Amino acid sequence: MEKRIKVVMAKLGLDIHWRGAVVVSRMLRDEGMEVVYLGNQFPEQIVEAASQEGADVVGLSTLGGNHSILGPKVVRLLKEKGLDDVLVLMGGVIPPDDIPKLKEAGVAEVFGPESRIDTISTFIRSKVI
Amino acid sequence: MANSEKKLFDQEMLQRIEAEKVRWNKETLKGKAGEENYYTESGIPIDILYTPAHLKELDYFQDLGFPGEAPYVRGVYPNMYRGRLFTVRQLSGFGAPEDCNIRIKFLLDNGATGVNIVFDLPTVRGYNSDDPEAEGNVGACGVAIDSLEDMEALFEGVPIDEISSSVVTHMPSTTVVLMAMYTVMAEKRGIPLEKLSGTNQNDFLMETTIGSAPEILPPKASFRLQCDAIEYASKNLPRWNPVSYNGYNLREAGTSAVQEVAIAIANAIATAEELIRRGNKIDDFAKRMSFFWDLCNDFFEEIAKCRASRIVFQEVMRDRFNAKDIKSQLMRFHVQTAGITLTAVEPLNNIARSAIQGLAAILGGSQSLHIDSFDEAYSAPTEEAALVSLRTQQILQTETNVVNTVDPLAGSYYVETLTQEMAKLIREYVATIEAKGGLVAVTENGWLHREISDFAYKQQKKIESGEHKIVGVNYFPMEHKETDIDVFRYPETEGRQKEKLAQLRQKRDQGKLDKALGILRDKCHSDENIMPYVKDAVEALATLGEIEEIFREEFGLWQFPLA
Repeated sequence: MEKRIKVVMAKLGLDIHWRGAVVVSRMLRDEGMEVVYLGNQFPEQIVEAASQEGADVVGLSTLGGNHSILGPKVVRLLKEKGLDDVLVLMGGVIPPDDIPKLKEAGVAEVFGPESRIDTISTFIRSKVI
Repeated sequence: MANSEKKLFDQEMLQRIEAEKVRWNKETLKGKAGEENYYTESGIPIDILYTPAHLKELDYFQDLGFPGEAPYVRGVYPNMYRGRLFTVRQLSGFGAPEDCNIRIKFLLDNGATGVNIVFDLPTVRGYNSDDPEAEGNVGACGVAIDSLEDMEALFEGVPIDEISSSVVTHMPSTTVVLMAMYTVMAEKRGIPLEKLSGTNQNDFLMETTIGSAPEILPPKASFRLQCDAIEYASKNLPRWNPVSYNGYNLREAGTSAVQEVAIAIANAIATAEELIRRGNKIDDFAKRMSFFWDLCNDFFEEIAKCRASRIVFQEVMRDRFNAKDIKSQLMRFHVQTAGITLTAVEPLNNIARSAIQGLAAILGGSQSLHIDSFDEAYSAPTEEAALVSLRTQQILQTETNVVNTVDPLAGSYYVETLTQEMAKLIREYVATIEAKGGLVAVTENGWLHREISDFAYKQQKKIESGEHKIVGVNYFPMEHKETDIDVFRYPETEGRQKEKLAQLRQKRDQGKLDKALGILRDKCHSDENIMPYVKDAVEALATLGEIEEIFREEFGLWQFPLA
């Protein structure tokens, strides 16, 4: 039987636009994944939840411009907890120039507002075995 | 006029038109009405052809009338844009107040006629710039305001007694603080509060339903602060709109056009009931209630929405609350074009989208307009992109002649049919909310949140399946096209704001501050209006974060319903 992939999804920090995170959560559930939607959380709580839930994937949604600071912080805190193999994905309104920097910091992929759900789920399946 | 029986069209003529349409369908159209079923964005079926037969129930005087007269469907003022053009109110907000002050002046120097300020997320959420929770968000997505001094820096050199300022305070808990800062600033400048003209958003749904945050006040507390700000303004700021019921962000989060308007009107109903319960009279406050709509791409439906919203609001104010002052029955609204429709691919196409939405706002009779910038799927607008938006407004105002006649689409068989249909659906949705206990109740129990997230989910499904087409995204997408676009960069703000906060804390009169904050804390548990006590705290240089912390401690925190 195929392993059920577990995703922890959160809005990053004080950001207020939840549409993308909620919709992606529901669609990943349709794709057969187990999704825990945390709502807005700060990096420490997100990492704590990922640890408790045994998450394979952490999805971070951001619109407010905090991605360059808080995204890498989540990756760093995961590493500090020994959760190196958790796949960190980001989505939302993120300037293209920032994407290489996020990837350098350990974010596996950044999905823009127009990404299709099958692109996201295919990517997750290719990375989480 | 009592129950006028005069319909717009002669009954015999209507019968003939209906019969002729059957013939036309058979002989001329020959069944070629298209393969699909056609619906507006909110699901109203679209007929291939509209005729007077669609309007057989329409009574000119009862259902249309003249602009500036009931039911105000044709506009709230008799002369509309001939009397006064809609306010060109482009949003600005980024960095420290000193940075944002430069953008305000740039827009005013280039012909903007009002100020429209948006705050960064720590400010919106009630945290100081040096709060650990503010990390990464200071000066991004809006301007950072920590104290009265920041508000003064933001409006330095801006004539607030001459131009109107929209101070987009989102949540009521921050409204009461930012509004207090604005009024104290005016008093210090020697400007009487009666002269201040502007708008706060001040919508408790922003705190509890649309924008979740790690720590938010419960709906009842937030609603109380919303009402406090409205009540205070009704007594002290006669030219101020202390609330702008925010349909816009509901729509962006996920509602239909019908739900957007209905939820905002349900909020106005809840406010009116609460203020009347407190002993106010409807005509003391209703005339300064304003609304905020999101105009998306379904051109005629959006125009019909604007027109229908005025009908329903007038009915509510006249029939339910017995408002006597004509101004209490007028729905005035600001429009922002739809951020949700902007694409990151081929961003210049967004200029076309926004211009069409802006045109719909004018044809719908908006009082004030913000046209989104083409680069907003990436970041806040660059100066260049902000100028294109401003110019789009000016082109619409001066080169197209669309502002020179009032309600030019009136009488369109299609627009009138849609207007009546939208009004009916809005009334029904308001009734649904009321039947479930009213807006505060459906917020508390999560029903409203589920309605929004269900709609957003269904809409995304339609995009994924291609049923809902977006040019360049799922309709004629270009392969491997890299977007080359200058993106606005937020200036470094966190360090500068922290430095200012440190200095502020040094120079304050601690005794005066502690006293003001102590009184404010006590008043959280009283029935008194909180505004005067917030003003005292602000005057004693309390920071936004300090005041908000009192609210969080005294009102408690509420768990936002999740997906």
